[in-house]
Amino acid sequence: MSAQPAAMASLMGVSTRPLPLGRPAAATEELSPQVGEEPRGLLLRGALVPRSGPADASRPVHDDLAMHLRRVGPLPRVTAELLVRVEETGLTGHGGAHVPVAVKWRSARRGTGPLTVVANGAESEPLSAKDATLLRQRPHLVLDGLLATASLLGAVRAVVWLHGDDHRTAAAIETAIGERWSAGLPGRVDVVVGPSHYLAGESSAIAQALHGGPALPTVRRPGSTTTGRTLVHNVETLARVALLARGHDPVPTVLLTVLTDVGRQVLEVGTRTPLVDVLGLVDPHATAPQAVLLGGYGGTWVSGHTAARLTVDEADLRREGLSIGAGVVVPLGPEACGLSETAAVAHYLASMSARQCGPCLFGLPAIAETVTALADGRASRRDLARLRQDLAAVTGRGACHHPDGATRLVASALEVFAADVDGHGRRRPCAAARFARLPLPPVLR
Amino acid sequence: MRGGAVRTAPPPAGAPVSRPAAAPPTERLRVDPIACRGIGVCALTAPDLVELDRWGFPAPVDGPLTSAEREQAARAVRACPRQALWLAPPAHR
Repeated sequence: MSAQPAAMASLMGVSTRPLPLGRPAAATEELSPQVGEEPRGLLLRGALVPRSGPADASRPVHDDLAMHLRRVGPLPRVTAELLVRVEETGLTGHGGAHVPVAVKWRSARRGTGPLTVVANGAESEPLSAKDATLLRQRPHLVLDGLLATASLLGAVRAVVWLHGDDHRTAAAIETAIGERWSAGLPGRVDVVVGPSHYLAGESSAIAQALHGGPALPTVRRPGSTTTGRTLVHNVETLARVALLARGHDPVPTVLLTVLTDVGRQVLEVGTRTPLVDVLGLVDPHATAPQAVLLGGYGGTWVSGHTAARLTVDEADLRREGLSIGAGVVVPLGPEACGLSETAAVAHYLASMSARQCGPCLFGLPAIAETVTALADGRASRRDLARLRQDLAAVTGRGACHHPDGATRLVASALEVFAADVDGHGRRRPCAAARFARLPLPPVLR
Repeated sequence: MRGGAVRTAPPPAGAPVSRPAAAPPTERLRVDPIACRGIGVCALTAPDLVELDRWGFPAPVDGPLTSAEREQAARAVRACPRQALWLAPPAHR
């Protein structure tokens, strides 16, 4: 992989060809076994999925066990060498927070009591569909990573955790588990289907649910036992662990979900790919965006100007104080109103609060209301000042990071759309202010 | 987070608590935002350490407490009807 020319690596993934988006791809071609070759990426090919909701409609390209074994070979016996590999390669989590995997493993090893390892496929971020796509295209890769991690850490239970409304992903995983069982492969995996609500994908919520509690975020307090000893990894992270466990070099790609006028597309690109190239790849006819949403609804806006010099590499983005989060990229066209979009998303995020913590329960709706007033051109300077105070007051005050994502988004909007804040603040809403375009699941009140 | 080990043992019960320069400041005042119902007793018992936001929920000071502050913090911990506050040792983030 590392020997590949840079030009090729720049757009790698999906076989380095233009994406077979929107039309049924010649699946057999993609699925031809690559005997003796390194695995070229995590995905078999990209996917075009509905603009919102679970990635259910697309008919999955499915890597069955025989193809999987031809492609990457059997999972070798897991030794402590895997921890060293994970540490050396600096593998980080791909669920959004990018925590180094080795750090989580070391802390899991220090604990006592029976350990549960979880492959988290509950993709709560409404725009993200890369986890469901990965689980459907390469279920065995995720299962291998889960079982390798469980084996290394001496876990008593390995679980794939999914949202309740993601039926086809659950079916793909059940099929894969059945294949392994028939083939006599070792390792038992439970598929646990949780509720469908937003915070059912949060790691402490999963931990609590697997120990008999509600699937709601919880606080770790001295002496609390509600979450048992639970290690939660995103499914993409585990797919990468599965390749490291086989001695492969780290796959220098990132899985992205990109929402454009063409639709919502899942693709795999090289980590060094410029952001503008990703956008050009998925929608060649698009005009230059005024801003780009990175990391999804709990992510950050960046101006089109800034986006022009960014790559999708997390390390690069971190240096700019940004993050690719769970791999969501959404360009905002020049005609749209960033403040109106932010207001709609802020209301959605407020409605998705678990309603457990005061600052989130009361703070997020207050913030969303003020952003709406701002977008509508009826916010005074005092309102704007209070909005900034509220953002500071809410950040870091929840049991989970849900409110932090919402405040991050709004704070970035105030910065990136500063000209609009100024204009709307003088009671001049733009013509686009009435039409928010970002797809949102129904807001539950 | 301080790396140094706490050398001095906690003072025996009944001993004067505020003895400056004795034990290094280590503990932090934490709030469990799920248990908290915004009753506000903490802000009354530990006005120097706890501020209420505009919705009435406490935001304790961040960082290690001095031994003088520790006494006030312990009062707030005891006073909370929801038992939502605790003093976290340095290792517990």
